Amino acid sequence: MLDMQVLTQAVGDLDEPKVLGMLKEFVAANPGSEEAAAVVNACQQGMAIVGDLFDAKEYFVGDLIFAGELLNAAIDILKPVIGGESTAKVGKIVLGTVEGDLHDIGKNIFKSMSEAAGFEVIDLGIDVPAGTFVEKVKEIKPEIVGMSGVLTLALDSMKKTVDALKEAGLRDGVKVIIGGNPVTEEACRAIGADAFTTNAAEGVKICQGWVK
Amino acid sequence: MTDVMALARERTQLFRDVIDGNIPKRVPIFVSFSIEFAIQYAGKNLMEAQWDTGQLEEIFDQICRDFYSDLLPVNAFRFPSFYRLLGARNFVMSSNGFLQHPEVEGLLQEEYDDFIASPYNCIIEKILPRIYTELDTDASTKALALAKAFKAFHDEMGTAIMIYGRLNQKYGYGDVNFFAGFTEAPFDFISDQLRGFKGISTDIRRVPDKVEAAVEAATPLMIKAGMQPFPSKYNATFIPLHMAPFMRTKDFERFYWPTFKKLVEALAEAGHPSNLFVEHDWMRYLDYLYELPENTIMRFEYGDPKLVKEKLGKKHIIAGFYPVSLLKTGTKQQCIDKAKELLDILAPGGRYYFDFDKVPITLDSVNVENARAVLEYVAANANY
Repeated sequence: MLDMQVLTQAVGDLDEPKVLGMLKEFVAANPGSEEAAAVVNACQQGMAIVGDLFDAKEYFVGDLIFAGELLNAAIDILKPVIGGESTAKVGKIVLGTVEGDLHDIGKNIFKSMSEAAGFEVIDLGIDVPAGTFVEKVKEIKPEIVGMSGVLTLALDSMKKTVDALKEAGLRDGVKVIIGGNPVTEEACRAIGADAFTTNAAEGVKICQGWVK
Repeated sequence: MTDVMALARERTQLFRDVIDGNIPKRVPIFVSFSIEFAIQYAGKNLMEAQWDTGQLEEIFDQICRDFYSDLLPVNAFRFPSFYRLLGARNFVMSSNGFLQHPEVEGLLQEEYDDFIASPYNCIIEKILPRIYTELDTDASTKALALAKAFKAFHDEMGTAIMIYGRLNQKYGYGDVNFFAGFTEAPFDFISDQLRGFKGISTDIRRVPDKVEAAVEAATPLMIKAGMQPFPSKYNATFIPLHMAPFMRTKDFERFYWPTFKKLVEALAEAGHPSNLFVEHDWMRYLDYLYELPENTIMRFEYGDPKLVKEKLGKKHIIAGFYPVSLLKTGTKQQCIDKAKELLDILAPGGRYYFDFDKVPITLDSVNVENARAVLEYVAANANY
């Protein structure tokens, strides 16, 4: 049986050969879905270590991006034993880079870290108009809307999006988090978001707090 | 001699003194504003003015008229026309008229060996057609597309350079050019144009030896790209730095630093100083920056100005640090106080010019009154 602590640590160390080696061996032994869920959980805890090391300035943005890739590779290996919908999602996030902004690195980091934390993320991509956010929120009924942007002009688009959600009568049904270089407490207030962050790991923690 | 010519001389002297290691009469000021900021400031349409570049003279003139700088405060060189003609994926205009650099993958991970064996051939044969969709076609159509794009490029740059010349004359700006050449650190080139942020961040873990070899292979091309037409100690090659702050120090030491150092040294040996935009926070790397050739210009975004002055201030030329975000959120007095604070730290001993920490890209990213007040304060008070 696979040592969960060793796996968690290997994910935290971003030691890809070790992680993938352990998972391949695990899958080859044809485990049950309960064991598989425990392994997914161990990987998720490894991602939490990655977040902590980022806060401690031992890891940097490049490492977070790699962590997302590592997790994707891990899930790919585990898919046959996890089963289709066996892992319960903790909540849904409709996510996008707002209108006028084409940057998606930060958004993608947040996406992979929140997926690692058990969220289902509906990624609308980049340069997303307010109307698209509204349509998707209507359709998906997520708990959370995440808006990302790098340019200062993104702040205007975030405000527009929140206003559009209000107009459509959807604002009260969701929590709104904004992320990216230009967001500040002041901007958050002006936009009418519920939370802001420039740190993806922190953003995930905020979202977890909302769906508890 | 006209007043404007005398002014230009005086301003040129301020920068020459900084470069020669003399104490200038006053801290020189060199700020710049983005083309988007300038267009919005002039109340023009963002898309129209970037396509119809003849409008830019009047637009840039308003920046020159209203914001103090000792060198020309506008410098646009990316125009949508030639990127559109190439079908560029690396520079794309968003729905509201801002040209941006999305993630691109010009080179696939399994193609590293091709690049390492012959970077130039690989760029021509594989990378350009992938980044520029109009070049992904048969040879003669490709040749036509490239010819059209270059025609547009030369037309646009010709127009821009004429405008810059006239504004330089009209406003008596100093005659030093910190954008006389342009290149990238080899690792940044591989990251930004070839593999993308995501690609490179996985490559340095999955295929580290190939990344190292590719960065080495790109270095001669980056050196060549950064050479200016004429060597001059008063002109510099602009190198905007990108990836280092987002890497672990040990990855920086292996993948980023050796070839970047080689680049700056090779340019310096050929008589071309480098003007670095030290993006984000480089405080972990100050001892490395110290090693670069004397008089390398370093404009910092974030970090500790005291530490930078102490470690680099006697050897290199420092600028930046003034937070554009404060121009948006602060009162006029707070903004001026911040300028004072930075001048007190960075001005002593010379080798410093005043600049913001980054170029304001939209009109609403600053309070215009604050920006003007700070520049006027420095121009009037930062005397030695």
